[in-house]
Amino acid sequence: MNEILLEIKNLHAKVGEKEILKGVDLVIRRGEVHAVMGPNGAGKSTLSAVLTGRPDYVVTEGSIRYAGKDLLAMSPEERSWAGMFLSFQYPIEIPGVSITNFMKSAINARRKAAGLEELKPAEFLKLMKEKMAFVGMKGEFAKREVNVGFSGGEKKRNEIFQMAMLEPVLAILDETDSGLDVDALKVVADGVNALRSPEKSAIIITHYQKLLESVVPDVVHVLKEGRIVRTGGREIVGIIEQKGFEGIEG
Amino acid sequence: MEKVFVLGRDAVPERFELRAGERLKLTLVALPGVSADVPVRVELLGEGAELDAAGLYLCLGDERVNIRMDVRHNVGGCTSRQLFKGIVGGTARSDFYGLIYVARDAQRTEAYQENHNLLLSDEAWALTKPQLEIYADDVACSHGATVGRLNADELFYMRSRGIPEAEARALQMISFLSPVLARIPDEALVAEILRSLENR
Repeated sequence: MNEILLEIKNLHAKVGEKEILKGVDLVIRRGEVHAVMGPNGAGKSTLSAVLTGRPDYVVTEGSIRYAGKDLLAMSPEERSWAGMFLSFQYPIEIPGVSITNFMKSAINARRKAAGLEELKPAEFLKLMKEKMAFVGMKGEFAKREVNVGFSGGEKKRNEIFQMAMLEPVLAILDETDSGLDVDALKVVADGVNALRSPEKSAIIITHYQKLLESVVPDVVHVLKEGRIVRTGGREIVGIIEQKGFEGIEG
Repeated sequence: MEKVFVLGRDAVPERFELRAGERLKLTLVALPGVSADVPVRVELLGEGAELDAAGLYLCLGDERVNIRMDVRHNVGGCTSRQLFKGIVGGTARSDFYGLIYVARDAQRTEAYQENHNLLLSDEAWALTKPQLEIYADDVACSHGATVGRLNADELFYMRSRGIPEAEARALQMISFLSPVLARIPDEALVAEILRSLENR
């Protein structure tokens, strides 16, 4: 079996006074794609927020180890430098900052953290062009302000574009497939499949089985009321499709 | 006339008079470490006169910056625009007072004023006092004033992409100031402003 990339033990987390995660255990090995499914309010987005270090989400108990390190001791930017990436359920608009400047800052900060020189402008532009073509974005996209005035589908494409630029070791997709048409869904699926390798892993948080037809998960978890109540293979997706989450018990 | 005044380095005239068809593009810059009282009165005296005023003030320690704009539309058919942006941190205080006066016969006046402020600390103060005094009836006037903070969601989004917190804060401040920065032709001055926003 491959080396463990992420190990979550007895994770409890709250937002404000409300406890959302109530003892999550999860092990992801390198090369694996895991799906996390569950009804609204089960704690799926809280899990992605805690993994990426979002302020206001407080871990009250438990531990997370990522690539051999104590993840909870790392800042959000350190987690990114270590290869973690979250495709946001609701991508944030940043008025006044162009996609080009945003990505240049992100790429060069990561290179600096790794002790590398800044990417040369020509190399950076080449990379931008290549990844924009990959997600089907045209030239003017690079000049637009980050997510400002983007349609829902464009925002999700932009998330996949950023993921392709940053080539994460652990990609977390938080309901990236929600509300997408067939073409955009294909971009998401191609984006994740392009990253698949024996070293890299992904967590796909979703309500639907559609995306999981093109990005076939190795392991499927069902999260309900802050706990993982079932873990198994892809057959679980079919059971959920037939019986709903009511049909899944621990 | 087009002029950028750096407070503490350049003397700012207290009074400008614009005759028919004259145009003044005025930009005020208050760098960190500079306290100043700046009263500017602009008299629009002839039809077609146009004022395009903007400014930025960076009060990040214990500065006191007071800007008082007094824009007087004495005759009709003139235009004035004002855009002032401030970043206030530490224990600094900024005070923006902007009066638009439109005389009784100054019809077809267009006058706009905006003042926006970003607070970086709990002890910082940004006061904003827009004033309209309008005695004509055929005018287009608007004013907007805000005091806010850096957006936490934007900061987290940038940090989650690996942009360090200090750089993410600076990017937000630069984007906030960008409409005023774009008016400054002196690249060395722009670079000085950008440097002063690092690690805030």
